[in-house]
Amino acid sequence: MQVGGASDEMIDRSGRLRTPWVPVMEAFRGIGPEEMARRAAALNRQVRLAAPFGAVAGHRYDPLPAPLTASEFSVLEAGVQQRAHLLNTLLEDIYGRQSVLHDGLIPPALVFGKAHFLRGMHTGAPLTTPRLSLYAADIIRGADGRFQVLRDHTGIIPGLGHALTLRRLAATTVPELFRAGGLRSLRPAREMLVDHLQRESQGGLIAVLSAGISSQAQALDMMDDALLARALGVLLVEPGDLAARGGALHVKTLSGLLHVATLIRGLSGIELDPLEQGGRVAAGIPGAFGAVRAGVLNMLNAPGTALLEDPEFAAFLEPLFGRLLGASALLPAASGEPLAVASRAPFINGLTGGGLASSPLFFRLYAWHDGKGWQVLPGGLAFGMDGQGAASGMKDIWVLDADEPQFFSGVPAHEPPERVAFLPAAHLPSRVADNLFWLGRSVERLESAARLLMLALPRLESGTSLPRDVAERALIARCLAQARLLPADLASGAISGRFLRQTLARRKPMAGLMKEVSRLLHASSERLSPNMLSTVQFALNQAADALAPNEETALPAILGFAATFAGIAAENMSRDGGWLFLEMGRRLERGETLAESLAILLDAPPERMEPGLALGIELADSVLSYDLRYAGILSPGPVLAMLLADPGNPRSLGFQCTALRWSLERLGADDDAESARLLQHEAAALAGRAAELSTPLATVAARLRLLSDRVQRRFFTLLPEAHQLEDEEEVVAAAK
Amino acid sequence: MIYRLRHATTYEYAEPVVLGTHFMHLLPRDRPGQFIREAQLDIFPVPDNRRNEIDHFGNFTTTVSLTNPHKQFKVELNATVDVIQPAPPAPGLTPAFEQIVAAALRRADVAEFCLPSPLAAPGPDIAAYGRLSFAEGQPVLAGLLDLNLRIFKDMTYKSGVTNTGTTAAQALKTKMGVCQDYAHLMIACLRAVGLPARYVSGYLRTLPPAGEVKRRGADQSHAWVSAWIGDVGGWVDFDPTNNLMVSDEHVTLAWGRDFQDVSPLRGIILGGGRHSLRVNVDLDPVLT
Repeated sequence: MQVGGASDEMIDRSGRLRTPWVPVMEAFRGIGPEEMARRAAALNRQVRLAAPFGAVAGHRYDPLPAPLTASEFSVLEAGVQQRAHLLNTLLEDIYGRQSVLHDGLIPPALVFGKAHFLRGMHTGAPLTTPRLSLYAADIIRGADGRFQVLRDHTGIIPGLGHALTLRRLAATTVPELFRAGGLRSLRPAREMLVDHLQRESQGGLIAVLSAGISSQAQALDMMDDALLARALGVLLVEPGDLAARGGALHVKTLSGLLHVATLIRGLSGIELDPLEQGGRVAAGIPGAFGAVRAGVLNMLNAPGTALLEDPEFAAFLEPLFGRLLGASALLPAASGEPLAVASRAPFINGLTGGGLASSPLFFRLYAWHDGKGWQVLPGGLAFGMDGQGAASGMKDIWVLDADEPQFFSGVPAHEPPERVAFLPAAHLPSRVADNLFWLGRSVERLESAARLLMLALPRLESGTSLPRDVAERALIARCLAQARLLPADLASGAISGRFLRQTLARRKPMAGLMKEVSRLLHASSERLSPNMLSTVQFALNQAADALAPNEETALPAILGFAATFAGIAAENMSRDGGWLFLEMGRRLERGETLAESLAILLDAPPERMEPGLALGIELADSVLSYDLRYAGILSPGPVLAMLLADPGNPRSLGFQCTALRWSLERLGADDDAESARLLQHEAAALAGRAAELSTPLATVAARLRLLSDRVQRRFFTLLPEAHQLEDEEEVVAAAK
Repeated sequence: MIYRLRHATTYEYAEPVVLGTHFMHLLPRDRPGQFIREAQLDIFPVPDNRRNEIDHFGNFTTTVSLTNPHKQFKVELNATVDVIQPAPPAPGLTPAFEQIVAAALRRADVAEFCLPSPLAAPGPDIAAYGRLSFAEGQPVLAGLLDLNLRIFKDMTYKSGVTNTGTTAAQALKTKMGVCQDYAHLMIACLRAVGLPARYVSGYLRTLPPAGEVKRRGADQSHAWVSAWIGDVGGWVDFDPTNNLMVSDEHVTLAWGRDFQDVSPLRGIILGGGRHSLRVNVDLDPVLT
């Protein structure tokens, strides 16, 4: 299978299957093309679920690996090590003595004319760690079968998170592939990397610095950053999570500021330090450059290393091997059009239901400096190239040791389980706690809105003019307005079911609430397990699909989502840092909504309170409990006891206050816990009153809002936002 | 000439600043023709972390962080500086500017200043304006003096119409500004013809009006241009704001590609509310 002059990864020149592909194709034939296409789809779902940031456009994950023999890998390994060594030597020189410039080996404009040359990182003495500590090379196999370097990654290292994750996920979706022996494990390499980072950090925190999810264009980077943080068992932080103190960097967590010793940089060095470079304070980390120069912060890679990614450098690198290393390049630079010369490999063709499609591909190999020398990951990613040469499908690179048996029976050679370092809950970044708090609130808001509409729509439909029905419709309209499902000025007693439907169709309030839930779910996903996330996401998608015809039909699915979410949160999350904030958000929202609704429903003299009591019981989903306990006879005392005071009813006001108090105590917020205790007493006292409930209930709602504000101030706004002190020192000429 | 230099910058905040980080170019550097006898930078309140470093251009930088709430932040430089500027060569005898353009490309430490920078990038208008001083074969120093004079004549000195982010192109358009704008315009013009030019921040000695006593603190920060006229002539400084060739009345603080590289004091603060700024500069000759 020869395409032009390009070679083929799978088939050799004589038309035989290459040895490392034998077990792969064996497994492929065993599974069959249709089933394989399904597995490929499953793998893609898996990766998206494992990644916190939802679907990613453009990248397909291909379950078929790109296998390399041990001898092929050793060629690549030596070449990548040498190239990493050269690039670091070059960077150290450019950011230090600059002899390559003074000796004319590199034209000055190639350095000084580039935005990625960061003058703030030019130092008299070397930094405490190599400027280049993480490196990736994109490599093709040319028509002659030799490997050639297509491009270097020296700044942000793309895909390392995927490279450490893809195999584990493929092993669960296509276990048949992994029956082959001799597959070199990534685990020792990953553990060596983690150990090295920990040694360098000397007790300080290690974190992956990500740009955050503010921009959709960064979704893939963010996903990769999150996968990397998870694979290495380190924190994932954004610029806003960090603060400089006394010249060193700290992450803002619930337990205060913790020293960060190492940052794996997923953010461009341009505009990284607003103190020295100017620019938006919130987008960067003021003082980062100074901390790196002083050696109190280790950045992988140091700012300014992306300079060497400039394609204009390629022409000057070849002679530098001789000048700087005294050796010739083990891997030549790619010449010619990569699409035409790169070897091709089969990818599962998702479009045609299962065949194989051949694409030119490049290998991305990863290396890191361990303090002594360069280590190359025995794996990596292989990318198919589309017609424009852009990366499309993504494969796991396998390194197969020939001396191992190619097949063995018995237990499949799965990757061993992930070893993830323990991250104490107290290290929860304030931003994450903030997101979880609002996630709790927004899910509860969605649920109570759905519940109210379920109750309202049929009742508004029955248009009798009996006084009781009229009174009931008026109460419902006020509740709808309170929940912002109807505009306040239209919430008169005269509204009909049709009118409500029209309003829903026009304003789409449920879609808006779902969008907010979805946004917060993504933003909080680094603290939710993949399983939990996948289950919740599935339920949310079902609800979103159900919204398509109209908002009314989606209500059961929305309640289903809320129940799934609540069940997962109760059963799958440990009761520490993150969960406590989710819980508080939910309890505050539920308590506020209940108090506000009851203030409306019970706003009547005792003799006309019956419709309100009935609606209250129904809104609080307590009809069955009430019927069982009181045989369905409505009377104010028992209803109020059940809705306000009952400590055993998870929808009573008292229950919310008790739960809040417990969470606040766990977080050491004793004064706020005391406020929650007083509210709990107030709820119990109100249950004993027969009339005049409306005003005190509105007060309870207001006090819950105050408590919510205090929780936010206490935990989330640990620091006010910094701002630039304008350099206003006007430079004025002296009058001469 | 020996000078005693005092430069005090004081920020007064309406509300306490709970955290301040400052990055300063406020210690004068040595250069050919200038020797720093002593220099000291005092900071109040005393910072809990202070780093003295040398930047890419060889300037001194000071980074401090303050974590105790404060309502006043004061930086005071006291220095004694020797200035002995050698006499410039005769303009007509300097090499043709084209030779300098070619030589600059071969010198890594000079070539950087031929390239555009954010505030001093040559555009078509600037190139057209600058070229008028550099006819073919023009001796470089003659061209520089001509450009210096033209900018002095064409620009109107006016404070308040530009700010620290004003570019050379904007200055040429409005033909108004302060010394920083004069300097950026001249630098961009030189770069447009391929000549290396850098931005110099520093101080200029002022004399009181005839018959008056000099007021304390009345001197000011200043900015001008340094241009490279070849391996022999080296860097020569021009003050287009005053149509001067710099001799022994200017004291150099720092240099870079433009103002952004040598901004005297940058800061990121938390809190503070509204603030006011006071700057006092005294540059007095020491009688020997």
